[in-house]
Amino acid sequence: MATLPEWLRPGARPVSLLPQRATAHRLLRRTLGAMGRSISLLVREPDGPGVGALRTADPRAKLLAAVGLIVATTFLRGLLPLAACLALALALSAAAKVPGRRLLPVMIAVPLASTALLLPATLNIVSGGPPLLVLWRSAGGAFGPWRLPEVVAVTADGLLVAGRMVLRTTACAALALLLAATTRPQRLLGGLRSLGVPQAFVMVLAMAERYLAVLLRSAQELHLARLARSVAPIGVRREEAWAAAGVGAVFRRTRSLADAVTLAMVSRGFTGEVRLLRPARWRRTDWLLVAAAAAVAAGLLILDRRLA
Amino acid sequence: MSGSQGETVFAVEAVRFAYAGQPLCLDGVSFDVRRGERLALVGANGSGKSTLLHLLNGLFFPGEGRIAYLGSPLTEAVLDAAPFGPRFRQEVGFLFQNSDAQLFCPTVEDELAFGPLQMGWTQAEVFRRIEDTLALLEISRLRGRFPAGLSAGEKKRVALASLLVLAPSVLLLDEPTAGLDPRSQSLLLEILEALHTRGLTLVTATHDLTLLPHLADRVLVLSEEHRLVADGEPEPVLADTEMLLAVNLIHAHSHRHGRLVHTHPHQHVVAHEHVHGHHHEHEDQAEPKK
Repeated sequence: MATLPEWLRPGARPVSLLPQRATAHRLLRRTLGAMGRSISLLVREPDGPGVGALRTADPRAKLLAAVGLIVATTFLRGLLPLAACLALALALSAAAKVPGRRLLPVMIAVPLASTALLLPATLNIVSGGPPLLVLWRSAGGAFGPWRLPEVVAVTADGLLVAGRMVLRTTACAALALLLAATTRPQRLLGGLRSLGVPQAFVMVLAMAERYLAVLLRSAQELHLARLARSVAPIGVRREEAWAAAGVGAVFRRTRSLADAVTLAMVSRGFTGEVRLLRPARWRRTDWLLVAAAAAVAAGLLILDRRLA
Repeated sequence: MSGSQGETVFAVEAVRFAYAGQPLCLDGVSFDVRRGERLALVGANGSGKSTLLHLLNGLFFPGEGRIAYLGSPLTEAVLDAAPFGPRFRQEVGFLFQNSDAQLFCPTVEDELAFGPLQMGWTQAEVFRRIEDTLALLEISRLRGRFPAGLSAGEKKRVALASLLVLAPSVLLLDEPTAGLDPRSQSLLLEILEALHTRGLTLVTATHDLTLLPHLADRVLVLSEEHRLVADGEPEPVLADTEMLLAVNLIHAHSHRHGRLVHTHPHQHVVAHEHVHGHHHEHEDQAEPKK
């Protein structure tokens, strides 16, 4: 029978704990949690039965319409056409009954993230133009080879640049979400394939869609396993080091899962081409959808030119 | 079911195999699998059971030796060629240990359709098979579900359904009951029993000896040196305590009675029922222990 070491026997004195900082660094846990929620929103099946023209349309028609509108949006410069495009995407989402719990996170996260990224663009040191709001004044001078500005201020030109970009990214995100929320992933990928997107690319997308949640769960389990053995919060640096090691561990699992999935597919006769149970059928209404999207895109571009 | 009872389905001859850059994990393994047999591959973790199943499924190929299916050698070239390749994939199903790896489609229905669509069957036939298979395994309610969201037992049944929909004549099962709760385990064993009585050949890799009475009429034992050390009916194989101890399928169990500590071979033949193959008496307990 195995003999337990002295420190594992009943009544052994516990080792005194090192003093720990009381501050809890829950960044990693919150990040993993937020990623999990975002991914589950992204990969969730389109809600509700196949009702409405947008839900029942051929995925190829929807892809062409959405890509056409997104490309047109990237060429728009005026705030009014961009706002019109965003309003159209939101109106279509409402008509297609895209649930608010799916739409809202994207409509909040995308403008916030793009605003944060574009804040420097609102300043005179990036965009130039007359100042609207002075944030900082200095005596000027130089820092090494760089000349320091006498005034740092928000400018009208900067606000216009930032506002244009925020509206553009939000409108594009709303259009992409509308496509994702009204089309089952498998049909969307089938549509991509039949539009000539290479098989390897479509397969990578399909596997990412299927396994992102599995791998994220794996990362969360690693984190929970570590938390279960933690007696106090650790510092940010150690948390970062652990996160880096965790990324490595998840990467190894990803590789082994990818190998296993490939073998499972080959085992069931996969030879390189995914076939769909319900292949898409192009109908007259699908032509109408593509034509309507093309007309809207052209209308927005013409409006944008007129207002410029 | 195609083929006649008793014919040789797989012939494995002196197979040696190693993963790239790794030590040998199968060393000179030879055996036959006959039609309608229930064969169990048992061995400790890492003895090469799963690898052997992968070889039988034509997913890996031996470095030395030969594996034949119905007399045709299993090589990459042969499996890539029609009609042998598709026919082999249809006739030989492989239930992976990790159901998450096996269920790669967005819905359960797509999962069941994957194999038949790869075989080029008509849509009507595919739908008919899906309906029947879902009903057979009592999982019709899961048809539109996302496989990642299912319980372990449900995933295993869906994975099995994705094989049965092709009407295979051979099933290769890698630790089929691992991670299942008792009810799911018992349900799966019932399904496998029913499939066997309908003539399916079952080859199961397991290190759980409690499953052998339910899963096998013949047992092959792989040693930790990756060699085949026993081939026979479950009863005599399970009775060979010395061999089972040597291959790490049972362990020397120590326990204490009063002041007396003693060691004996220990195995779980039926879950939760311990068999201690000895009698002994000691000073503070008059009744013999069994």
